[in-house]
Amino acid sequence: MAHHKEMFEGCDIEIKDDINLSINGKEIHYEHDEAKNKWSSKYLPYTQYDSLLELARAIAQHTVEFSNVKK
Amino acid sequence: MAIRKDANTLTVAERAEFVAAIVALKAEGIYDQFVLRHANAIMSAIHRAPAFLPWHRRFIFDLELELQRVSGNPNLGIPYWNWPSGGANASMWNDDLLGGDGDAGGVVRTGPFRAGQWTVVNSSGLPAGPLMRAFGQNGLPTLPTQAEINQVIAVTPYDVPPWNMNSNPSFRNQLEGWVGPNLHNRGHVWVGGSMLPMTSPNDPVFFMHHCMVDKIWHEWQLRFPNQGYLPTSGGPFGQNLTDPMNNTPSGRIGSRPIDVLDSNALGIIYDGAAPQPQPQIPLIVVGANPTSADIGTPGEIDVFRFEVSSFGPHTMYTTGPSDTFMTLFGPNDPNIEVTSDDDAGENLNSQITRNLSAGTYYLHIRLYSASAAGNYAVGVRAAGTSPTPTPTPIPDLVVDGASINAAISAANESDVYRFNITTEDTYTIQTSGTTDTFMSLHGPNSQIPEIASNDDEGVSFNARIRRQLPPGEYFVRIRHYSPFGTGPYSIHVTRG
Repeated sequence: MAHHKEMFEGCDIEIKDDINLSINGKEIHYEHDEAKNKWSSKYLPYTQYDSLLELARAIAQHTVEFSNVKK
Repeated sequence: MAIRKDANTLTVAERAEFVAAIVALKAEGIYDQFVLRHANAIMSAIHRAPAFLPWHRRFIFDLELELQRVSGNPNLGIPYWNWPSGGANASMWNDDLLGGDGDAGGVVRTGPFRAGQWTVVNSSGLPAGPLMRAFGQNGLPTLPTQAEINQVIAVTPYDVPPWNMNSNPSFRNQLEGWVGPNLHNRGHVWVGGSMLPMTSPNDPVFFMHHCMVDKIWHEWQLRFPNQGYLPTSGGPFGQNLTDPMNNTPSGRIGSRPIDVLDSNALGIIYDGAAPQPQPQIPLIVVGANPTSADIGTPGEIDVFRFEVSSFGPHTMYTTGPSDTFMTLFGPNDPNIEVTSDDDAGENLNSQITRNLSAGTYYLHIRLYSASAAGNYAVGVRAAGTSPTPTPTPIPDLVVDGASINAAISAANESDVYRFNITTEDTYTIQTSGTTDTFMSLHGPNSQIPEIASNDDEGVSFNARIRRQLPPGEYFVRIRHYSPFGTGPYSIHVTRG
C-alpha cells in the first residue's frame, strides 16, 4: 500500500493506502468505476478521472470549497 | 408561457432584459438559492440517474418563473445554448450577454458577470471569488455537433437498469454524456472553471446549457410519443415516475418526474423545436444473406425491421468479429421488448431463436461494450420452412356458426381468424375452455388497426369482445395470456 502527500494549488492532498483521500484534512468520498477504471466524486459531477490523484487535484483546483479564492 | 430562443438570436433588448433579470435575482439573493439547491442536492440523485432530466427541467422552470417575476415579462424564457453554433466566437459570449472566456488565470473579466460585478458562492452560500471559465482547456476542446445531437436523439428507450452512468441503451445516459458522443457533460467541461463543480449554476450559462438539454429531451418526446419516462417503478427511490425528486421544493407544479413530462403543459415553447421524421428503418428479408452494418461510434445502436408472414420458429443472429448485443421488439410495436441476447451465437455474436407470430419485428443491435466500435452482419432465418413458404390460410369463423377448436401449442404462439360481416350490428367474439386466452380484434378489411382487446371478459379466464361493427372483413388474434402458456380453446362469433 502506497501513501502519497503533496501540496497542489494551495491544498494539502493526502492519499493513504492508495484509497483513503483527504484534502486539507477533510475526508473525500469518491466512486471508482471498475469497468472503466475511472474515478469520480460528488464534487465534480460531470467528469471521470484516470486516477485518484488526478481526481484529487481537480477537486483542489476547481471546487470553490477547496480552491484558493482568486482576486 | 415561456418562449425559449437560441441565445445567439436574441435582440439587443432581449439580451438586456435577460441580464437585468439575472442581476436582479442575484441582488435579491434568489439566484444564490438556486445555486445552493443544486449544490446541496445528492449528486447521484440528480445526475447519473433517470431523474437527471426531469430534475433539471423543474429546476430551470422555477428559475424562469423568477425571471418572469422580476422582469414583469410573463413570456420571458431562458435562452438555450445551441452548442453547434455556440463556440467561443458566438455572440452569446459578447459583453452584452454572458461575457467571454476567463483570462490566463481563468477569471472572467468581461461582460455583466465579470470579476467585481459577480461573486460566486460555495455550497454553504458564502462568497467564493469571481466567476471562472477556461473554454476547451479541460480535455474536451470542442462542443457537440448537430450530427452528434441527431445521433443521441435517435436512441431509445428513455433509460434502462442499472439506472446509472453505465445504463445502455439509454437516451438519458447518452444525453447526459456517460455513453456515446457526450453532450451535456461536455458542455460543462468545455466551459470549465465554475461550471465544473456542483455549484455550477454560479455561471448563468448553466441555465442556457440545461435549456438546450431540456430542448433535446422535449424533441425526443415529440419524436417518440410512445416512449415514456423510465423507471415507472422498481428503480431506486427518487428515480421512479411518481417518486418525489431530491431537493425539489413544493411549487406551482409537483416535484415528481410525472409532473414535468409535458413541456407544453408547463407553458414552455421552444422556437426551433419540431418533431423530426422517423428515420427509415432498414428491412431485413427473412432467409436472405446477412446485412452488413457497423457501429461507427461507441454507444451507437442500429435498428432493423423484418416481417414474419406466419407463425413459426425464427432465428435472429449476427456474424462477424464484434461482440454484439441484440434486443428483439414486436410484433407490430417497436416499443414492446420480447427478449435480448449477448453471446448465444458463434464467438461473441448474439443470437435469438424464438417462436414468432406473424407481424413486424424490430432488432436493436449494439456492441456489448459501450466504448467499442466495429462491424458485423445481421440476418434472420425461419427454421424448418422452405425458402418460399406457402402462407398458411387464415381460418374462417362463421357468424352464428360452429365453434372452431384450436390450441396455443407453443410459447409465444398466436392464432388468427377472420370473419365477414354484411350487416351492421352488435357482434360477440369469445373463447371457451380452460385456457387463459387473450383476444384482439382488428379491421375492418385489415389485420393492422386494432379495434379492441380483452383478457378475461368471458367465462372463467376466457376472452370476450362485444362490439358494434359495420360491414367488412375482421380479424381476431388469440394468444395465451402468458407468453409461455399453452392450451386448447374454442372460438365462435355470434350476432346480437
